[in-house]
Amino acid sequence: MISLNNVHYRYEPEGIAALRGVSLEIKDGEYVALIGPNGCGKTTLIRHLNALLLPDKGSVEINGLDTKIAKHHTEIRSCVGMVFQNPDNQIIGMTVEEDVAFGPENLRLPAAKIKKRVAESLQRAGINDLATRNIENLSGGEKRLVAIAGVLAMNPRYIALDEPTAFLDPAAAARVLETMDNLHRAGVGIIHVTHKMEQAALAERVVVLNKGAVYLDATAAKVFAETKLLQQINLRLPQITQMLLKLKKSGLPVRTDIFDPDEAADYIGQLIKKK
Amino acid sequence: MYRAGTFISEESFVHRLDARLKLAAVVSLSVFIIWAKPLTILFMGGCLFCAVLSAKITLRTLGQAIKPLLFFIVLIFLAHALFSRNDGSFPGISASGMREGFVVTWRFLLLITAALLLTMTTMPAQIIAALKYFLRPLKHLRVPVDDIAVMIMLALRMMPFLLWQKDKIEKAQLARAYDWRRSSLKRRVGAFLSLIIALLLGLFRRADELALAMEARNYARGERSSFVVLKMKPADYRTAFVFAVMLLIFMALNYYLR
Repeated sequence: MISLNNVHYRYEPEGIAALRGVSLEIKDGEYVALIGPNGCGKTTLIRHLNALLLPDKGSVEINGLDTKIAKHHTEIRSCVGMVFQNPDNQIIGMTVEEDVAFGPENLRLPAAKIKKRVAESLQRAGINDLATRNIENLSGGEKRLVAIAGVLAMNPRYIALDEPTAFLDPAAAARVLETMDNLHRAGVGIIHVTHKMEQAALAERVVVLNKGAVYLDATAAKVFAETKLLQQINLRLPQITQMLLKLKKSGLPVRTDIFDPDEAADYIGQLIKKK
Repeated sequence: MYRAGTFISEESFVHRLDARLKLAAVVSLSVFIIWAKPLTILFMGGCLFCAVLSAKITLRTLGQAIKPLLFFIVLIFLAHALFSRNDGSFPGISASGMREGFVVTWRFLLLITAALLLTMTTMPAQIIAALKYFLRPLKHLRVPVDDIAVMIMLALRMMPFLLWQKDKIEKAQLARAYDWRRSSLKRRVGAFLSLIIALLLGLFRRADELALAMEARNYARGERSSFVVLKMKPADYRTAFVFAVMLLIFMALNYYLR
């Protein structure tokens, strides 16, 4: 379990507080979407989960290990993997398997075990065909998957992903989301930072941050039902929710807690047939 | 697009050779290329190009990899052709100067080809593992061999980024109607300085992010393991023997030829 207790953080002693008393608990295998306006502290928060940042006040515990204790860092970083926003800034190796092996090499695992982990991670990320490819020749979507595989090679229980579909075309974004979904089904906890409400709606739980504090924390249906609260911080609703709300406003008795386009299409189709 | 000198995934005899053997061969060949007489390096060049072709590297790919260095190659040739005159007068083109220019350029081309043959047929991780192997004795002198290996890996990784970033900044300058051909020297210097500053800023920002990413994946200074296992196979021993014999032949040729 990941536990944040009253976490405060400032990048500079006199600067603006990036986090102001964040308290959260994330259970094993949970899929949490982290949304909020720019500068609300999403990236700062997930960097605390990997002990890359340490709280000024409060505490972060990963499976009971306090991130402030340096000797826990190896275990914490193996437990919570981090996928950065720009994969080019995360990929260290020149070829795919070389990069995926970087983490296990740091753990000083024997070569045979590293090879096994690399093969497994590439398989789980769905990119085993890219193993010997040069990083420079990969597409943006493939690089994201390499970054995910690199994290998987550490055998993490959670993966925190900072806008993993930013700058990707729809097909590449769908492939990344599918990989994340598969990992979640396999029991890996996902913490997904995103600006795309449609993607946030796929999560089991949505946490909205605003000005460094938790603004809303509930299921996607409950969070996106709070239209006024979301509008106050300039967050828009998923397009499907917007459409269903407009239909409701025009007098149609429709549900507004549907976020999947196919499900919405079926639902509207049934309504039309009934009429 | 293929980037100069990077690994090309192929199934060939040269690709399969042990990285240590290839590294040692390239180093010894390089020393010999610098030292040998002109006629000997002509033969060596033939052998080296045969090795390139047997590695399934086309002359076009080799040309693409050498192309960025064309400016230096021409410069080296011209410098020798114009300034190497036996009678002491310069500058001017002379037969001896041209001959000297050709020889030095040929040596330079062979050195580049030998290095490219190594990098195009060997995965960077294997080159680093081979380097670590040869540097291993230095561990006794407390030389941080593992850290040096990571530094080399990062330098290799940063190289394409630098080229890409330079390209991007130049295009951004072009997009804002900057044309260096039509600019005054003062403007050119200004544009060059802003390019360097933007490059350095980008590099530092990236280095900062990369350091965080390395930390996130448990990197710490000191000993690391490696997924690359270097093991000499019978074919490697046979090749090492053939290579040693050829080197001896070249030495003999070098002794008897003018």
